[in-house]
Parts: sequence; C-alpha cells; structure tokens
Amino acid sequence: MTMVAVRNLRRNPLRTVLTIAAVMVAIIFFVTLRTVLSAWTAGADNAAKDRIGTRHKVSFIMPMPLRYVQEVRDIPGVKSAASANWFGAKDPKHDREFFATIAVKPKDFLEVYDEIDLPAEQREVWFQTKTGAIIGDSLAKKLGWKIGDKITLTGTIYPGEWEFVIAGIYTATRRSVDRATLYFNYDYLNDDPRTRQSSHDQVGWIVSRIDDPGRSAEIAKAIDSKFDERDIQTLSMSERAMNTSFIGMISAILKAVNVVSLVMLGIMALIIGNTVAMGVRERTHEYGVLRAIGFLPKHLAVFVVSESVAVSIFGGLLGVMLSYPLVEQGLGRWLEENLAGFFPFFRIAPQTIGVSLVLAAVLGVLAGALPAYSAMKLKVVDSLRRAG
Amino acid sequence: MSTDTSSQSANGAIVSAKRVRKTYLRGKEELNVLQDLDLTVHEGAFEALMGPSGSGKSTLLNLIAGLDRPTSGTIEVAGVDVGALPERARAKWRAANIGFIFQTYNMMPVLTALENVELPLLLARLSGKERRERATTALEVVGLKERMQHYPRELSGGQEQRVAIARAIVTDPRLIVADEPTGDLDRKSADDVLALLDRLNQEFNKTIIMVTHDPAAAERAKKVHHLDKGALL
Repeated sequence: MTMVAVRNLRRNPLRTVLTIAAVMVAIIFFVTLRTVLSAWTAGADNAAKDRIGTRHKVSFIMPMPLRYVQEVRDIPGVKSAASANWFGAKDPKHDREFFATIAVKPKDFLEVYDEIDLPAEQREVWFQTKTGAIIGDSLAKKLGWKIGDKITLTGTIYPGEWEFVIAGIYTATRRSVDRATLYFNYDYLNDDPRTRQSSHDQVGWIVSRIDDPGRSAEIAKAIDSKFDERDIQTLSMSERAMNTSFIGMISAILKAVNVVSLVMLGIMALIIGNTVAMGVRERTHEYGVLRAIGFLPKHLAVFVVSESVAVSIFGGLLGVMLSYPLVEQGLGRWLEENLAGFFPFFRIAPQTIGVSLVLAAVLGVLAGALPAYSAMKLKVVDSLRRAG
Repeated sequence: MSTDTSSQSANGAIVSAKRVRKTYLRGKEELNVLQDLDLTVHEGAFEALMGPSGSGKSTLLNLIAGLDRPTSGTIEVAGVDVGALPERARAKWRAANIGFIFQTYNMMPVLTALENVELPLLLARLSGKERRERATTALEVVGLKERMQHYPRELSGGQEQRVAIARAIVTDPRLIVADEPTGDLDRKSADDVLALLDRLNQEFNKTIIMVTHDPAAAERAKKVHHLDKGALL
C-alpha cells in the first residue's frame, strides 16, 4: 500500500517537484541555521578546561601592566602565562579583508596555546625575528602570503605603517582556534617609539594554564585577589566561562536563530499539508471507489500519510545532500576564511543531519494527519457521487 | 471462478430485500427515495434495474452492495443481513462478496492495468506472486492479458471498463453490481462489455445486478425491474 502512495506522487509531477523543492530549501535553511548555532557554541564547547583568562576589571579594552604576567605566573597552580594585545591593522592591498592581529610573546604564547601547530624551524625563526609574525593557514591561503614574505600593514589603533616578515604558518589541533589570525612579536610593538608614551609595557589580557582544571574557579579567584588592592584590578575566569559569557551577550540572537530554524520547518509542514490536502480533495471519488471495494478508513490514512512522508523524506534527503556542498564548501568556507573569529569551524554536525531527517519525517506525518483525517471521514456513497 | 451457493437462502435467493425504505434528509425536508420495496434476486441471475433519474435505482444498488444502510427493512445478501453489519464488518464483507463496476471505470491512473486489478487483493492475505497470478487470470478472462502493463491512459474506454470488470471479479465475488457500466461507452465497446458480463453470468455463474438507462443493455439481462418514485412497478 505504501508503494501505491509513493506512486501517487507521479500524478501531478510539477506539484510534487515544487513541494519537494520547498522541503529541500527548508531543510537547507534549517541545516544552515543549526550549523550557525553549533558553530557559535563551538568556541565554548572546545575551550581548554585548563586555561584562565584575566582582563582589566572594568573592560576588555583597558590595558593592564606587563608585570602582572609574571605575578600571575607566580600564583600557585599556574603553570604558565602569556600576554596578548589587540593590535588592529589592515593590509592596504586587501583593504576589505578583516583579520585579527595580536601581539604576543612567542614562547609564552605557544606554551599556553599548545594546540597551535607550528613546525620547529618556523618557531625558531619567529623567536629570533623581532618583526616576525605567524599566520594561520586559512589567512595565508586567502591573502596569498608565504613564509619569508615581507608585508606592510596599516595600524588602526597604533597608527602608521608596520612591516612584518612571515616567519611561519600555523595550523591547529583544536577546532576552536581561529586559523585566520596574525600573531606577532610583542617586543616589536612595545619597543616601537610610536607606542612608547601611550602603551609601553601594557598588555590587553593574560591567559594562563593551570595544573588542575578542577581548581580553575579557585585559581581565578586567587589571581583577582592578588590585584585587589592595586590601582588596576582584574577579572579572571575560565576560558570556557569567558567564551560562554561572550555567547551570553548574543543569546537573544541565538534564540532568534533557533526560532527561525523551527519556523522554517513549520512552513515546510504547511506546504506539504496543503499539497496533500489538494490531492485528497481531487481524489475524493477515487477514495470512494477504494472504500467500496473494501478498503477501510485506516487504509486511506496510510495512503495519505505515506504520500506526505514520502514527499518530506525525499525533500529532506535532497536538502541534506545539497547542504554539504552549499554549507560546508560554500558558506562554511567563506565564513571560516572571512569571519574565523566567530566561526572558526563551520561544519555540519552529524546530529544536525539526523535531527533534520527525523524532523522531516515527523513533520511529514503531522502534515498528512489532517488531510488523512478528512479522507477517513468521507462517506462512501457521497464520495462516489462526486465526479472524479 | 467459484460457483459456491452454500450461503444462499432456501428458495435460492442471493438477494432478498424486504420492506426496504430509504429516507434522506434534505435540510428539514424528508426525502423518501425507496418506499417499502421488496426484491428477490436468485443466484446466477442477470438482472437489470431501470427507471428515470431519481427513481432510486442507484440507491437500491448501494444498499444491496452494502455501501449504505436502509432506513428500515432488511436486505439479506448471501444469507447476511448487510444493513445490520457495522461499518468495518461491511467493508470486509464487500471485499469478499461484491464486485463493483462503475460508469466511469475509476482506475488509478498511476497504476498499470495489472496493478489496478491487484488492488482488491491487497486486502487479502496473499503473496505478491499469488496476487499477480490471480490478477493475470482475471485480465485473461476479460481478454486484456497482453495489455496488463499498460496504464489506463494507454487504454480505450472499452478496454478500461474491461479492466474494471477484471478488478471486480479478481476476488471471485458472489455478486457483481454494475452501475451504468456502458454509460460512457460507444455502442461497439458497450456491446463488448455486455457480452463479457453475459459470459461471466453464463460461464462462471456470477450473479449480476446492473443499473442502466440503456435499453440495449437491459435486453441482455434475463430480468428487468422497473423503478419509479422509489417503488418497483
């Protein structure tokens, strides 16, 4: 009987194709929006459990003294600590391309961020080159930069032209790492005459590795306590908490995305329901004949619901199949290259595919329920009287 | 084809309608379509119901076939009081005992002739192979075995009606009810269909009750009942 229902899809091929296309588009949107949600939270999900971030208590944009780094390092439980300064610069040759530029102390930085994968010889070159910078592989690919290239960036926070030598290209062993950032030697920034008066020996934030992830709250508190009586106080939290607090700031947007993704599926169900209901109206006479020859109302329900589920599953499968090239190769690649700070890893999660297909099938059943009910309620004699 | 008559009544009647009344409500108005009608049809009969539009022919046929219930009176078909059966039981009874032939053939356009004939067998506990074999035999009886893979759109009106007849006989029913079976056909095709019904009656001893406006069709029947205003004349 299910086969008969699937054959029914051939009756009006244009209508069937358009309905399947509508389901397919809805599923592509659903998969895309769910991937946006999972990519947003990937940073928090993949945060290192043994890292603590420390910033100025008032705001992220206010600097702290460089000496705090060593003082944090001296706190029991802290294994290593590294500073970071947001630099802010653009490549005049690629004026519209945004990428993060951060000044760090190379050895400290690589010790704290051990998921950054940089070949040993490139590390050495970076350590020894004051103007040396390392870039992520996706940034290198996007801007066509190679090791040994000399580049000039225009500072946005620190004005003027800044020359760098590409000392290395890093990849990452953890998906939360932004592979489109340029890290350069803090000494180059700190020793430059242009920063001497304004921000000499100042750092933006400190990231430390601790020996026991279970004590991160306690150690964060110890760090902040240390600077409690100073002019500049700090606010410390685990990397995960830091990422989560950032997500918290955009939670309204995430909720909206979530709602929109579900609304898309609701619209999909209405489209299928309308198509199936049209089919039921057109086949009233035929259903009368089926009832006459002995089919029961439940059999008609099977015909109608099977047809609805077949449309939604065909559309769902096509949507999922097309999502991979569109989301992962198209949109995902673009986001990873251009908005890596927000979407370092824009990939479709396997559970998103599973949820999409299950929801498509469930909505197919729901969409077919009302037309099936009306088919079941048809009176045989009345149905036979109606012209086919 | 079976010719079992085990469940017919003692006097050989396969259909026995007694004081059958059917009333419809049209708004607040009561419409008496059949009025205290008595009818007996014997096993192996080929009988026609004729009468003007609105005389109650199709209503009577629907009651005999178990598609509807009389307002009062009883209709026994093959020893079963059809009107007393609940909806679900009536559907099963129809599937086992009645073959339907409609004026407009009513084939499913997405199924081949063979698959259309197989449809009633989906309700029986048969394997796919058995279903196909029985459907093929039914198509052979109506002379369309070679067209069994054709879709309804690839058949003429007469051929479609013959496929419908194959669908009606595939479950080997006791009684075949035909509502204007030649109403949509040209004379030649109509004669072919009538000859086929005649053969089913003569050769396979099928009881046939046919509603028709067509005098040529009525001539084929062994007995013609005339209805007017819900009563047999």
